[in-house]
Amino acid sequence: MNKVRAKEYQVRIDHALATPKLQEALHKFGDAFLLAREKAFSQYDFEALRLAIADCKDEVAAHRQQYLEQFIANAEAAGATVYQAKTAADANTYIAELAKSRGVKLAVKSKSMASEETHLNNALKGAGVEALETDLGEWIIQLAGQRPSHMVMPAIHMFKEEVAELFSKVTGSEEPAEIEHLVQVAREQLRQGYLDADMGITGANIAVAETGGIALITNEGNARLVSTLPKIHVALLGVEKIVPTLEDAATIIRTLPKNATGQLLTSYVTWIRGAVPCGDGDKELHLVLLDNGRSALAESPQCRDALRCIKCGACANVCPVYQTVGGHVFGHVYIGAIGIILTAFFHGLDKAAEIVRACIGCRACVTVCPSNIDLENIILSLRETIGHEEGIGLGKSIVFRKVMRNRKLFHSLIRAASMLQKPVTGGQRTIRHLPLFFSSLTEWRTLPAVAEKSLRDQWQKIPQKIEKPRFKVALFGGCANDFLYPELGIDLIKVMNKLDVEVSYPLDQNCCGVPALYSGDKETAVALAEQNIAAMLKDDPDFVLTTCPTCTMALQRDFVEFLKDNPVWAARAEHLAEITVDAAGFIVNQLGAAEVFKGEAVPEKVTYHDSCHLKRGAGVWKEPRELLTTSGLDLVEMEHADRCCGFGGSYSLTSHPDISKQILGDKIRDIEKSGATCVAMDCPGCMLQLRGGLEKQEKDIRVKHTIELLAEALK
Amino acid sequence: MQEERLVAVFSESARAVGSEVSIVADVEAVVDYVKQLTTCLVMVPDFASAKRLDLVSALKASGVALVQEDLRQGAATAAVGVTGANFAFAATGTVVLESTREDIRLATTLPEHHVVLLDPAKILEDDLAAVPHLRSFHQNSPRNYLAYITGPSRTADIERVLTIGVHGPKQLHILLFTGLSNDPLEM
Ligand code: SF4
Repeated sequence: MNKVRAKEYQVRIDHALATPKLQEALHKFGDAFLLAREKAFSQYDFEALRLAIADCKDEVAAHRQQYLEQFIANAEAAGATVYQAKTAADANTYIAELAKSRGVKLAVKSKSMASEETHLNNALKGAGVEALETDLGEWIIQLAGQRPSHMVMPAIHMFKEEVAELFSKVTGSEEPAEIEHLVQVAREQLRQGYLDADMGITGANIAVAETGGIALITNEGNARLVSTLPKIHVALLGVEKIVPTLEDAATIIRTLPKNATGQLLTSYVTWIRGAVPCGDGDKELHLVLLDNGRSALAESPQCRDALRCIKCGACANVCPVYQTVGGHVFGHVYIGAIGIILTAFFHGLDKAAEIVRACIGCRACVTVCPSNIDLENIILSLRETIGHEEGIGLGKSIVFRKVMRNRKLFHSLIRAASMLQKPVTGGQRTIRHLPLFFSSLTEWRTLPAVAEKSLRDQWQKIPQKIEKPRFKVALFGGCANDFLYPELGIDLIKVMNKLDVEVSYPLDQNCCGVPALYSGDKETAVALAEQNIAAMLKDDPDFVLTTCPTCTMALQRDFVEFLKDNPVWAARAEHLAEITVDAAGFIVNQLGAAEVFKGEAVPEKVTYHDSCHLKRGAGVWKEPRELLTTSGLDLVEMEHADRCCGFGGSYSLTSHPDISKQILGDKIRDIEKSGATCVAMDCPGCMLQLRGGLEKQEKDIRVKHTIELLAEALK
Repeated sequence: MQEERLVAVFSESARAVGSEVSIVADVEAVVDYVKQLTTCLVMVPDFASAKRLDLVSALKASGVALVQEDLRQGAATAAVGVTGANFAFAATGTVVLESTREDIRLATTLPEHHVVLLDPAKILEDDLAAVPHLRSFHQNSPRNYLAYITGPSRTADIERVLTIGVHGPKQLHILLFTGLSNDPLEM
């Protein structure tokens, strides 16, 4: 790890956290965005659209050369000059030289993320060419000397007062901070630029191989001016913009505005093919196709799906981390989840190394991505790469490699910890304060104490009374259920026994490996996968139940992925994945037994918190709600029920506690607003986070696992 | 029936994004509409249905000042640009303009008002129905510049507040004119 870089990163986080106004704006924007987006897609099948986009992009990726050649041939036939730039510097030099050789003094630009990527403006400046940004947001940040903090709305981090100040400097008179007025100022100030400029520079949203043309999807109308008035038009675009046909382009155009801003369509879609008339002659059109790491990305089996991205920005809009710290922290040039990945390939691993850890893994982005990219998965694999390159830190590496992989050692250390913690717990179930330099860990949330007797240590003594079990299931407890919340396991037995299901607890099971994986130590995660497969399948259970959705994802998805090429383990991993199911889903879907609990509960106002990995990983969210309402509890939905609670395992403990704390604060406000006296969930990690936060703030709201509430109902 | 439905959907979608939609019966109505928008300069590029209507003479006859030479400077000072539309689609209230000729582009980007004459017979269902026509444009002319226009120019770049008229037209007026042209490849 690079200490200086890490320190600078922390300074940026601190600075962002000290700007509550920005946070508020981004939160509001995230809410409004989701509403507008839902409305925009109400008549459309989002799933079908995103599969179509993914297919089309994958088709092009699989036959890159073919479509590239087709596009170039058609573009050249229409009078365009095509230049293939290998690197950012290569693209910049081409454009700067072109400008110099044509005697260009002023170039007007419409928005192009590719030109941000290459830092084209600097290169033009070096060649004595003034570059004038005409997109309102881009112009604002150009005047402020900043970089975009959002791919669609570059100046989303700025407020009208700051804009007024910048504009006042341009006009030399005091401009009032009224948005309509400021927009008018921009209109007037930039107008002459289009008429005076000798070169117009745009990006492109799409390049169509079938025609050799490009399409620009815009709202302001500046791209139309930039591509019309100056004699020379340069379009700088990434090679991944190529799609095969006009139909493919139409699919993207149908989807992008809805997913970017919630508009059915932007004000303008501009299709340009070839050198069109300009003044007395024809325009000089240059298409600069930028590679700059895209080929490398295409060659990476773990990461290449990122090339499907259509730059809608939605992955940032819904990201709780982005909403908390903004794009200047959570991004480099490209921001948010996709920004992490593109930064690694376009600007280097070093630039991505800090932000790759900033992802909390909540998968909110994955649900809204119109290109069907599993951003979280790609980010995890990047973390692993960076773990390899830079190491994951000595402490972690000892814990994961030497301790966790050795189950007996790991578990006996936890037992020892349960003894050692006595002085801080005073025998209580939660730790409210930690001494000295650990104190920051319990500043904003209490932590659960390690249970005196773990689930595994008391399992044998828990009676199970079933004559003829319908099913024999094995419980995969996971560390939290086993060592922090053994009572949850006991409740599970009670609930399952009521349903004629017998539960066993294979003692050789170990940590699911996710903490190691999230920290970039895949080797340990794979070793743990093998241990767990052997342990869980040993007695050939009908099902493997989980109470922690993060473990569920490990068993259902990660183990299979890790071991798919391993002849010894692949089939067993598949089998384990098939029989693994979370407890609530099992009761509703496999047993069809929600009715068993009908009316059994003492009525109480309960709100439900969707755990990220349960809803967006396992696809389970209706089931627990069905169980709660059937049992007679009064379910009231909170706002943002499926927004992350900020836990994220070591995210909240070591890597980003200050961000975690903010996200937790948001969640607690939503829970309180619901008016419920109990918040239910299906994840011990969320329980830890929410109990800790509510307890610290001395709120009288119970935090319960759905299984615990069902067990209560049976009392 | 079908045409009526499409006109209704089109008008609703177009109004939803801030376009003005009106019905006009003849060239006089177009002239009146333009005159009520401005007393300043008007730009009317060359397009088939304008010629058929002899729109330029009608405007001149009623005293409207037209951009005649130096189209660029003219467009930059004009208050209104008047064009036709090749076709439109209902789902999003979009008009499609084959804008390869530069005068069409100037008249639709620089003036504050853009008036579009559209024959309601040329309203299609949606963007997918538009693709075959796009392909025809590409087949007919090797170089082209096509524009989908959906409402006036807009931005939300300052505090995400929707604001109309940043660089392009501040108002888009769509005049539905029956019997103008039923060829989607013609403006
Ligand atoms: S990764 Fe997906 S959600 Fe994010 S910008 Fe790209 S297309 Fe949009």
